[in-house]
Amino acid sequence: MSSSMQFYISNLLVYLGVDVMACLGLNLQFGVAGLINLAFIVFQAAGAYTAAVLTLGPSTARGGFQSYILGAHLQFPLPWLAAAVVGGALSFVVGLIVLRRLRTDYQAMVMLVISLIATTVVTNATGLFNGSNGLALIPQPLESVLKLSPVGYQWFYVGLTFACTILVWVIVRRITGSPLGRTLRAVRDNDVAAASLGKNVTQLRLIAFVAGGAIAGLSGAILAQFISAWSPGSWLFPESFVYFSAVIVGGAGNNMGAVVGAALVPVAFLEATRYIPQFGYPGLVDALQWVVVGLLTLGVMWFRPRGVFPERTRRFARPPGSEPTHE
Amino acid sequence: MNLYVLSFGFGLITASILAIASVGFTLQFGVTNILNLAYGDVMTGCAFIAYLVTRAGGSLAEALLAGAASGALASYGLNRFVYTPFVRRGTRMFGMIIVTISVSLVLQNGLQGIFKATFFSLALPRPSSYTFAGMIFTSQQFVIIALAVVAMLFVHALLSWTKLGRAMRATAADPELARSCGIATDRVIDVAWLLSGALCGTAGVALALNVTSFTSTAGGQFLIPIIAAAVLGGVGHPYGAMVGAVVIGLSAELSAAVIPPSYKEVVAFLILIVVLLIRPQGIFAEVATQKEVVA
Repeated sequence: MSSSMQFYISNLLVYLGVDVMACLGLNLQFGVAGLINLAFIVFQAAGAYTAAVLTLGPSTARGGFQSYILGAHLQFPLPWLAAAVVGGALSFVVGLIVLRRLRTDYQAMVMLVISLIATTVVTNATGLFNGSNGLALIPQPLESVLKLSPVGYQWFYVGLTFACTILVWVIVRRITGSPLGRTLRAVRDNDVAAASLGKNVTQLRLIAFVAGGAIAGLSGAILAQFISAWSPGSWLFPESFVYFSAVIVGGAGNNMGAVVGAALVPVAFLEATRYIPQFGYPGLVDALQWVVVGLLTLGVMWFRPRGVFPERTRRFARPPGSEPTHE
Repeated sequence: MNLYVLSFGFGLITASILAIASVGFTLQFGVTNILNLAYGDVMTGCAFIAYLVTRAGGSLAEALLAGAASGALASYGLNRFVYTPFVRRGTRMFGMIIVTISVSLVLQNGLQGIFKATFFSLALPRPSSYTFAGMIFTSQQFVIIALAVVAMLFVHALLSWTKLGRAMRATAADPELARSCGIATDRVIDVAWLLSGALCGTAGVALALNVTSFTSTAGGQFLIPIIAAAVLGGVGHPYGAMVGAVVIGLSAELSAAVIPPSYKEVVAFLILIVVLLIRPQGIFAEVATQKEVVA
């Protein structure tokens, strides 16, 4: 295989790993817990910025050409762990504000507003993460230690990403397969009924929200350190929708569905088609890409509303003599 | 002091556009229960129609009419051919939010595909400026304010004094009960979409009129303040949306006199979040609390 081909494939594989992780996180929030987190991408961005500033070193380095807070040189894997912690912590704060008292439709709208606030603040507060120019030259983990060839390092990064993806998969499976997962689904399907059975609805939603946010943060760290750059243009509101689209296409509530959706929508549609020839005026292909994502989502919602891999509903045998008195 | 008066003037104009748009948004949501996140992009579409009309030599009045008509038609069509079929198929609230975002993406990027990602402005003669109590308005901005006042009075008159308005309020409060009282709720819902679309189109043209240039994302970006105003007032409550529009519009522009203008929207949104923390159902709660979204 030629080295450019290897670069191409390893790029796609890293994107795949990142998107699978993000989709698993969003599926936990949206598919399992029923939270319409339209600001999902913000938590990914938070992780990306965290990893960036914790590896770039003090902002005075390299002639201080970019300004940011908290510059540090932390050893791998500390920046990634920190990214997950920041993603989770930010989710906790936002969740406390949004999930406690608001109706679900208000929650969705407020999340949309939060996504925009975050973009505006990070773009304009140039001292925070270098404003709209974003951060560049983010060091890659262990690159200086391993001394691999560029292609070799690509494959090393693929391995690292996949290891994290598998870890996330295992954690998410543990959550969704546990009594906690069942309770989350109950809250999603009928929060009043769940509350009347003594379940703390807000706390349960908060758990799913924070877990999803931590996963989003980790995925952001991996992405930012892979492309070595991160700016507000990378996490505009429609990017959240790509993940929603992926989870819906794959099958909301089903982890396998989230994985397949990640491979189909963000990777196949948005990443792989980046390499198709551009036609028309600059920007036409990008615009059409979004039209296709929108139409694809509508199509799936129409023809297969439960996705490619629908959520499996478990049925439990009723103990004898406990027939329902009314139906 | 002068700066504040001047900003107040800007705030009035923003609030006017916002009021037209958010009343349309909230009216439709209240009656139909569909959170239409494609609303902003329909606005953009109408702005483009107005742009084409003015390019063809049309006057401002013609552009406004064309915008309102196309908005009404587009909203009606969206509901008839996209949203209602999805609802009939059993798509629930979560799903409908995703459906409307998909439509929004298709509209926005479709418009960008057609018109290219460049800047447009309505081809109208340069307006003359007037100074009024320390505030500066162009003649076009007077038109915007007048439009908002007329639209608000119209909506108020419709809702309070006509049979149709009462039917709309009844449908918003309890569709089942309205139906069993002999109200043709389907017809009422159609009218709500038409009316909301006309307001949406008018707001789209007003938005294009007020800015020096607009792009295919103008309406989509404006959707956020619209939602903020609607949520602030209590979604589904037209009078709440009017108040919300004034609060959001004025606070955004007035804060721009104190802090860097790029943060003016953030201030408005923070007000929204703080209000929601205190009053989770918005300022006007009676309608909103009683009504849960179809889930």
